[in-house]
Amino acid sequence: MSELNNKFVFVKEDITESEHIAAPKYSYWKSVFKQFFSKKSTIIIILVALTVITLSIVDPMISHYDGISHVNINNPSMKYISPNLQYLFGTNNYGDNLWNVVWIGARNSLGIAGLTTLITITLGVVVGAVWGYSKSMDKWMIEVYNVIANVPFTLVVFVLMYVLGRGFWQLIFAMSVTSWLGTAYFIRTQVMIIRDREYNLASRCLGTSTWNIVKNNILPYLVSIIVTSISRDLPSYISLEVFLAWLGIGVGESTPSLGKTISANRTYMTSTPYLFWIPVAVSAIITVSLYIAGQTLADAADPKTHR
Amino acid sequence: MKKYIGGRIVRAILSIFIVTVIAMTMIYTLIPRKLIFKTDPNYQKVASKTDDRARYMNTAYERLGYITFEEQGDMCKAYAKDNYDACMEADSSYINEIVEEHYSDYTIERYKGTGLVYATKDQPIASIVFNFFKNMIVIDHPYRVNDSSNPDLERKIYWGTDYNGLPALMGSGTEHKYLIYFDSSFPFVHQNIISINLGQSYPSYAYVDIIKVISQGQGSEKSTLQKFETGIESTSAVIQHSCTYKNTKNLDKLDTNKFLDNYAQCDTMKKDPSMIGTSMLFGVLGLLIAYVIAVPCGMLMASYKGKLFDHIGTVWINFMIAVPSLAFIFFGRQIFYLLGFPLAFPTYGAQDVRSYIPAVVVLGLLNTGSLMLWTRRYMLDQASADYVKFARAKGLSQNEIYRKHIMRNAIIPMVHNLPANIILTITGAVLTETVFAIPGTGKLLPDAISEHNNSMIVALTALYTSLSIMSVLLGDILMTLVDPRIKLTDDGGTN
Repeated sequence: MSELNNKFVFVKEDITESEHIAAPKYSYWKSVFKQFFSKKSTIIIILVALTVITLSIVDPMISHYDGISHVNINNPSMKYISPNLQYLFGTNNYGDNLWNVVWIGARNSLGIAGLTTLITITLGVVVGAVWGYSKSMDKWMIEVYNVIANVPFTLVVFVLMYVLGRGFWQLIFAMSVTSWLGTAYFIRTQVMIIRDREYNLASRCLGTSTWNIVKNNILPYLVSIIVTSISRDLPSYISLEVFLAWLGIGVGESTPSLGKTISANRTYMTSTPYLFWIPVAVSAIITVSLYIAGQTLADAADPKTHR
Repeated sequence: MKKYIGGRIVRAILSIFIVTVIAMTMIYTLIPRKLIFKTDPNYQKVASKTDDRARYMNTAYERLGYITFEEQGDMCKAYAKDNYDACMEADSSYINEIVEEHYSDYTIERYKGTGLVYATKDQPIASIVFNFFKNMIVIDHPYRVNDSSNPDLERKIYWGTDYNGLPALMGSGTEHKYLIYFDSSFPFVHQNIISINLGQSYPSYAYVDIIKVISQGQGSEKSTLQKFETGIESTSAVIQHSCTYKNTKNLDKLDTNKFLDNYAQCDTMKKDPSMIGTSMLFGVLGLLIAYVIAVPCGMLMASYKGKLFDHIGTVWINFMIAVPSLAFIFFGRQIFYLLGFPLAFPTYGAQDVRSYIPAVVVLGLLNTGSLMLWTRRYMLDQASADYVKFARAKGLSQNEIYRKHIMRNAIIPMVHNLPANIILTITGAVLTETVFAIPGTGKLLPDAISEHNNSMIVALTALYTSLSIMSVLLGDILMTLVDPRIKLTDDGGTN
């Protein structure tokens, strides 16, 4: 026995030790980023998305091309130049560099889609969080939702664009005026699932205000859901802009956009195909890269994927 | 349950009403009325002549229900029948008196050429809306026809035989001659008693009933050898079952040759299907392709979760969701073109199969993305359920579990969207139809917007909203039929 006792040494009592938690350190946002950048394919997609966004912001600043004044319109030698090293995307029927035309269009299209997403997500999350939390509000909102949600979305946009007239802000208004309700409903359902969990009940018993419970206990759970919504909405609004421009009810004459470029160049589909297919390809690259980057971020933001 | 569905229907009707009223109010108050003439070729002809233009515009406004419009002739006929000729002179004392007495709330103007008076009064928006709903459902009855040139018109409904010798419920004094009739086309029994009226189209399809624009055949006339009431047999495109009353003064020799009575205003048979028919044909075939491809693929993805097939499927889903449909449609069209198919529908027309294949396949593939996503999701949700674990514990094979347990439960939420998917093919696939130049309903709304065809926009808003709301209700009911466990009411099963 005494032999055995000699092998052990008494440890000094350390009060601070009891303050440490035995579990490994966990930081939510660190884990999100670690997860996000763990795949090589994701990094490529993100680079593509970032390049596209940067080009659409920077190029219009450098080129000063505004889409309205066609400098080379009286210079036939500048028209219909096929893509080469000097003009990467060639030149169009006005003698404008298609590179500039595409990127200023992409900027406006991204702006429209981005602002619309911002509005619908902000409104949707705020209203949805309160809606899901408050039972008396639910009664009213569900009726409003039932009236509006069943109306075909394109119909709403068509009629509003007709009534308000074509334009940048009109388009944003038309696209966001009813769609935020869909986001709100989506968030409401998620909030309802979390609302009645025990820790929220306890929190309420301790006198935490509704707003604080929503802000601190519920919204953090919604991050991945919100990112999923964004990554779905952003590309769909870009597609919608292309769709509306194709039908001649998108942004006004003075605002260049990807959709308008595609729509205007459709007549060259067989004679000078690059004029049509390059903007189409760019729009596809933008939407696909944004969608996949967003989906990956949403997956990474889901705490369940963190190990 | 009955009470619940009744409540749902009432709410659905209320929603349709609210949406239509909002749309009408916006369109009729915010859009300058004059824009309807912008693309009207007939207006261009009269645009330079002030009087003709005023008359043309006001007549159009009145027919579309915007205003009440009275010319001096109408006023004199109404209030000075005995002194009509004296009244009809420019600036006569009669007309001045009439105007002062009866038309004080109207805007009075004079034609510059003749000096005759005309009066207009705006219809308030409330009455435009009210009239739209009042006239929406039309019921045919024997006192409907007003024809002063035919005072001896009988007023009755009776069982008779139609021109084919089949029994039919017929009417005299009614708008339609055949109220209920039988023929060889689906659904074999047809009726003309209740009809829906969504107003008249203008400026495109000027003054044609909107319901007729979307539901009548298109293309050139198709004549068949027909036997008429008078015994004459001739090749004609007339659809005799559709005949409506024609005023006696408008009857001509051709009509009296064929028909014994005044019912000589008939629709004609056309070679190509109607807009709705075309859109539904494309839509339903496309859906069929989508379901045939997407449902098995989604199921396979779920059962091989995390394997190669799942990865390929996920790439396809992401691609389909993210790529603008316009880009995909053009891409698909180009590929079919290289395979020897036409670029557009009208190249070979409605009678050739090759016109249909590219658009149907593209339409089908467009729908596969989200359908695969949801099929996979529902399958995976079921796969982790307790009853599946139990089935596995019992020793059932994986195949059996998927086929008999998971699939049957996963199909339930998919059934919910089925009615909406089928019914909403009526509204057409806007982009696909535009790109392939398919004469369907899809392009109707964008075209109506660019032509300022206000009544068409209102009618389509009402129609599409109703279809959409009703199909959601139908989906809910269908879901309870497929799965009796689902109750739409939450009253604890005491219904």
